[in-house]
Amino acid sequence: MAHNTSEEHSSEPKEGSLLGWIDRRYPLISTWNAHVAEYYAPKNFNFFYFFGSLALIVLVSQIVTGLWLTMSYKPSAAEAFNSVEYIMRDVQWGWLIRYLHSTGASAFFLVVYLHMTRALLYGSYKEPRELVWLIGMMMFVVLMAEAFMGYLLPWGQMSYWGAQVIISLFGAIPVIGPDLALWVRGDFIISDVTLNRFFALHVIALPLVLIILVFMHIVALHKVGSNNPDGIEIKKYKNEKGIPLDGIPFHPYYTVKDSMGAVFFMILFALVVFYFPEGGGYFIEAPNFEPANPLKTPDHIAPVWYFTPFYAILRAVPDKFLGVVAMGAAIAVLFAMPWLDRCKVRSIRYRGLSYKLLLTMLIVSFVILGWLGTQPSTPLLTKLAQIFTALYFAFFLVLPFTSVNEKTKPVPERVT
Amino acid sequence: MSEKHKTIGVDLKRRKILTGVTGVVGAVGATFVAVPFVSSWQPSEKAKAAGAPVDIDISKMQPGQMMTVAWRGKPVWVVRRTPDMLAKLPASDAQLRDPDSQESLQPDYCQNPSRAVNEEYFVVVGICTHLGCAPLYRPAIGSPDVGADWQGGFFCPCHGSRFDLAGRIFQSLPAPTNLEVPPHYYKTATLIRVGEDPQKEGVA
Amino acid sequence: MKKLVLLFSLLLVAPLSVNAAGGPSIELEEAGNNLRDKDSLQRGAVLFTNYCMACHSVKYIRYNRIARDVGWTDEEVVEKMSFGQNSVYDYVLTRMPEGVAMDVMGVLPPDISLTSRVKGADYIYTFLRGYYQDEEGKWDNRALVGTSMPNVLEDFQRHATEEDYAEAVRDITNFLEYVGEPSKVERLDLGWKVILFLLVLLLLTYLLKREYWKDIKH
Repeated sequence: MAHNTSEEHSSEPKEGSLLGWIDRRYPLISTWNAHVAEYYAPKNFNFFYFFGSLALIVLVSQIVTGLWLTMSYKPSAAEAFNSVEYIMRDVQWGWLIRYLHSTGASAFFLVVYLHMTRALLYGSYKEPRELVWLIGMMMFVVLMAEAFMGYLLPWGQMSYWGAQVIISLFGAIPVIGPDLALWVRGDFIISDVTLNRFFALHVIALPLVLIILVFMHIVALHKVGSNNPDGIEIKKYKNEKGIPLDGIPFHPYYTVKDSMGAVFFMILFALVVFYFPEGGGYFIEAPNFEPANPLKTPDHIAPVWYFTPFYAILRAVPDKFLGVVAMGAAIAVLFAMPWLDRCKVRSIRYRGLSYKLLLTMLIVSFVILGWLGTQPSTPLLTKLAQIFTALYFAFFLVLPFTSVNEKTKPVPERVT
Repeated sequence: MSEKHKTIGVDLKRRKILTGVTGVVGAVGATFVAVPFVSSWQPSEKAKAAGAPVDIDISKMQPGQMMTVAWRGKPVWVVRRTPDMLAKLPASDAQLRDPDSQESLQPDYCQNPSRAVNEEYFVVVGICTHLGCAPLYRPAIGSPDVGADWQGGFFCPCHGSRFDLAGRIFQSLPAPTNLEVPPHYYKTATLIRVGEDPQKEGVA
Repeated sequence: MKKLVLLFSLLLVAPLSVNAAGGPSIELEEAGNNLRDKDSLQRGAVLFTNYCMACHSVKYIRYNRIARDVGWTDEEVVEKMSFGQNSVYDYVLTRMPEGVAMDVMGVLPPDISLTSRVKGADYIYTFLRGYYQDEEGKWDNRALVGTSMPNVLEDFQRHATEEDYAEAVRDITNFLEYVGEPSKVERLDLGWKVILFLLVLLLLTYLLKREYWKDIKH
């Protein structure tokens, strides 16, 4: 028996009930059934499959805490820094709401990076899930923009100078660069004008886009069904009722499992919020406790940790414009994964040694580049960054060739 | 077959209980989470500072004079009432809606005939209890815009409400209650602190 | 295999915590202050008033907040820290009139509400103890070379024992660390309660998961 059918979790509304009244006018029950109670997910989800629901939880948390911060924050150059300290000291529980939001930003990227790792491990970007991957990649780019704009808002030294560096990169683009940078800033330098528009984008525009993309991401996923750690298609073997033999209804099995995962995540989250909110200077950077000063540059301008791999790639290339291109390419190349990877086998469990080595190289390079991005530039470290940038890109350049004739293991018919 | 049903039956009960307990604890957790968000709407320290008690120096007040100060963005009047004004107060009792201030807002220590701590100085919030206009001070007997039998008090021009010199509303007029008396006490004989009850730490 | 990769990546992250802020150039002395020591905070507040407030403001904190957290009444804090001049709701500002600092010292003494968060408590402690006289008898500071700030504790140090001087500097540091984040102790005290609650909830959700997943045969 795959699961206990004596307990039905999909429902038909009772006669004369409020639920029935609504359901005759709004597809409440059918939606619940299609996407939760009768959405059959593979029964072999492992650790890496927690991060989708965790990402959703962090998104909700950021929206709620962000909304609350907006109630007290003042988006002007004159008042922004002070308003953050006002929140930390004068607003009842303001300090907690602030730390939830700052920790949430870092948690978001940790969760998303692990979520993407899952896709790379089990081939979740492969046919027929290319669109799920592309929408996810779009969300990643939007999330980076959202985080970048959000970081300007406290108007600290690192806020100001981090934004200064990144926006000046736009200026490096040939021909249109300086005008583009001017247009993004709305002023000749990063100023009150820039702050106010970044506030509008951070609070309204990008969250809206993110929510729409999350919706599309889940719809696209549910259309084709979830992948699994064995990378096999569970819809291949169904019972007489049309239910995949290796599938289990998302509710109650994964609602219950994800609840457990969520609580465990909250414990780790709480440890940071209450005991290490500054994250050793990586979640809230120390220079940001100093108000923005256009006349004084901090000793080390470093982006927040989740941008450091890409920052390291940017700095590794000696040419300013080509550095920007490399940084953009490092993200853009991920979009192409479904077509770069030509192996017919989805999951790393059954793939050849070449993919295992390549993926290890990618992840190790990404992490080391991340560390390098936090360090000041020295000739040795720049050389190191160049090596690992090359290795990072090597994954994408070599994969199309090695994946075609990989020595794969036999893929099981049913999940293990 | 029945054995399987029996096992399933027990399982269901355990599941219901476990789900119930987890649900309750989860709901408790959700309530805890709601607390900071709801509480953050309470006045911040900045609001409390802006709404801090105000000290009024009454040493230079003349009999019959009215002073106005701002407290929490509202006008607070101090009126130095003459013995004559005080003597006339009980005479209007029959024409008042709430002569003993049972329905009106004032501190316990001001629920008395003169609605004050020290009857000579009347401390009151200068906002009409009808719809919030600022009434006018009309101490003189028979003031022209109020009428010949006017014994002195406050007149609200917006909708015609009239209050006596203890801020009490007359009957058949729009305002429902007497003018509000704020918490206050005498720091010294000539210094009134408005916005704080006597012998209590912190803001009222 | 995957687990090894993950573990390896996590191990790489560990040493990052050491050098996040871009540390200062000299070795810092440990302040050893205790934010829960209210006596120390009170002493620190008074020392701040007498030695620091002439030039420096801590403009993000109010007198009444200090009173509440260090164990003074509203009257006491205003008496001890502003000699009755301020309202208990006021922010703690310097007594120096505007423009004087620029005229006399050529530089604006910064507000130091957040210095402990930018540089750390150990830096403040090291700085205050870091004054020395060079060959020409000019004062300089090991922690901030070329500082315009005079050695305000010079006299205190001369008339105190080594122990008392260290304690005084520790008290000032303690007070400034407190001012940097007044809700820190509250945060630490709430944290373990939240985590304890979540552990209970974790146990319940785990039992619930295990119960339902009995249905699933692998």
